[in-house]
Amino acid sequence: MPTLGELLAEVSFLAAMPAVIGVFVTAGILVVSREWRLNVLTLTLQVFFIVLLLTRVIRLEVAAVKGLIGWMICMVIYVTERRASEPLRAAAARETPSPRRRRQILSARASFNLLAALLVSVAAYTAALRIPLPEVPADITLAVYGLVALGLLLIGLSERPMQVGIGVLTFLSGFDLFYVALEPSLAVAALLGALSFSVALVTSYLRTVEVAAIAHGDAQ
Amino acid sequence: MIAGAGVLVLLPLAMGVVAYFLIRWKTLAALCAIATAIVVGVGVLVLPFGQPVDVGGEAQLALGESVSILGRELVLEAGDRIGIAFLFISAAVLFTLAWRFGSQRLLFPVGLGLLSLLTAALLIQPRIYAALLVEIAAVISVLVLQHEGQSPTRGGVRFLAFSLLALPGLLVTHWLLERYAFTPNETALLDTATALWALSFAFLLGVIPFHSWVPAITSDGMPLGGICVRTIWNGAIWFLLLDFLETYPWLSDHPSFGPLLLTIGLVMVIVGGVLAVAQRRLGRLIGYAALIDTGCALMALSMNSKLGVTLVFLSLLVRPLGLILMASGLSGAWARSHDDSLDALQGRGWPAPWSTAAFVVGGLSIAGWPLGAGFVWRWAHLRALASYDPRSTLFPLLAGAAVMIGVWRGVSVLFQRPRTPDGRLEPFSISSEDWLTATIVAGAIVACIFIGLFPQTIGPIATHLAESYTFFVP
Repeated sequence: MPTLGELLAEVSFLAAMPAVIGVFVTAGILVVSREWRLNVLTLTLQVFFIVLLLTRVIRLEVAAVKGLIGWMICMVIYVTERRASEPLRAAAARETPSPRRRRQILSARASFNLLAALLVSVAAYTAALRIPLPEVPADITLAVYGLVALGLLLIGLSERPMQVGIGVLTFLSGFDLFYVALEPSLAVAALLGALSFSVALVTSYLRTVEVAAIAHGDAQ
Repeated sequence: MIAGAGVLVLLPLAMGVVAYFLIRWKTLAALCAIATAIVVGVGVLVLPFGQPVDVGGEAQLALGESVSILGRELVLEAGDRIGIAFLFISAAVLFTLAWRFGSQRLLFPVGLGLLSLLTAALLIQPRIYAALLVEIAAVISVLVLQHEGQSPTRGGVRFLAFSLLALPGLLVTHWLLERYAFTPNETALLDTATALWALSFAFLLGVIPFHSWVPAITSDGMPLGGICVRTIWNGAIWFLLLDFLETYPWLSDHPSFGPLLLTIGLVMVIVGGVLAVAQRRLGRLIGYAALIDTGCALMALSMNSKLGVTLVFLSLLVRPLGLILMASGLSGAWARSHDDSLDALQGRGWPAPWSTAAFVVGGLSIAGWPLGAGFVWRWAHLRALASYDPRSTLFPLLAGAAVMIGVWRGVSVLFQRPRTPDGRLEPFSISSEDWLTATIVAGAIVACIFIGLFPQTIGPIATHLAESYTFFVP
């Protein structure tokens, strides 16, 4: 059975522009979507693309460990949202049904977020051309700017804990991609992993509290 | 031989775990947290630094002994002792008042965990790891901002976002300055590092325009939880800032260092004063009062002198007492209304006279008015500022007055007797605060006034702390 490192080595042909495009697309979906299943899947894919890019700046094993931390975070978010969905469904059922509205392909909020994500992506692309980052290749610079900018956008667009948490994690992933090239120390990698994991745990706690409040009719 | 540095980090962490298991019994969890904070805070001050002490059996504790964790050194230097004692003793006061004012139960275990992380951040070598530990502490402290059983607070979410935005700047500044040390001709490195350093600490200290989390954590969240962040975590941030300046003296040598800090401090004082006077929520008033005090401390640091650093330490030493008292007072009134707006707090002072007294004395202190502990540092600050930049002296005075107007308005509402639906005054309700709460609040009030009347008790400590730093222009 192949090891994780060998699996990553087999898909290393993606670790250039395809991975950068993947990072932009996944971060864009996170900005636009509020569907938790899609978001968890997208975040899992985003971690995969980031790990592919990381293999070009640090050792494969370290990149794989970072990937495992990222996927554990996805698992934490999945479990939280899975448990939250039941009381939310019950609370929605208690509410009086609103008059039927015409179903739209893309809501006004989602269209606004999509437009904002496109504008921010263009800004990130321009910044990557004008202000190249030291010690990392041009395509990774683009991925770093994209993740940081779209993470900031996600933080700015919402005050819901899960959206802000995913925004912060996206922002930190972008910075991590750059910083591992400057400081490849294992201790720094471990502390950055611990930081990301604590963000996921706190976000899950706040989401649980939010759902409990909604279920008791205190919110919304 | 037990290394002191290891005990300072591991003991609060272990006791935090114990406090977590005792969380069902709030008094036990609180007493565990208070005892740990007092033992460590006093122990680090009174134990001899250079020689080992018997701690039972054949075991000996050496306070000055360093310890290595995952290849990184935790080193306690003589100058760090007062700083660490300050964090633990502030936490002990906070835990004691939080115990009596029905705050979030998680405050005790999380507070101890926070102390462990922040102590590690102050002791770890090299300093690059301190930034990461401080950020992990910031993330964990969001847990204490949350009301039990209520929707997530905006303050907690904003604090999480703003504090983490500071991380890239802190880490990259370190890397840039390490490179600048080898290539001093590349002044662009220093310019970038200075800009990143300023931006990062602007996020961490809640400098305007990145201040929206400061009033939110004391208004939307638990007041004492917000003050835990604003005193203990923020205290560690100040030590980190001064350590950065000490490690990289080029930052304070930069020509824009003094003017930049003075301008930022002035803007914080002016905007904080204007917003404080307009507040109709007492939690937000506390936040803006803290913002003004931080602005004054930045103005003191802009002097780039030993006096300026001494004033910064004086502010750090006296600020927690005022803020903790104010937040305790608000928590006492909040427990009866579950809202911090003036409309909801009408008449809530009658059943909670000690809470109201704590709010007033804390307000006096944080506004820098006579009798409060804060007067000690604000008066010294004004005198120093008068010789450094006389034009800016007026603004801290006016901002202090603005905070006092807010406090006065709050007190007048708290003691306004509510009317019944038919327009008659409601009868006085009897105080519902027990004797233990009254004794603890009275003790804290006496301590606050004592420091205000006898500044010589705290002044030499600030001077001693400032002597460890030599980065300023002589």
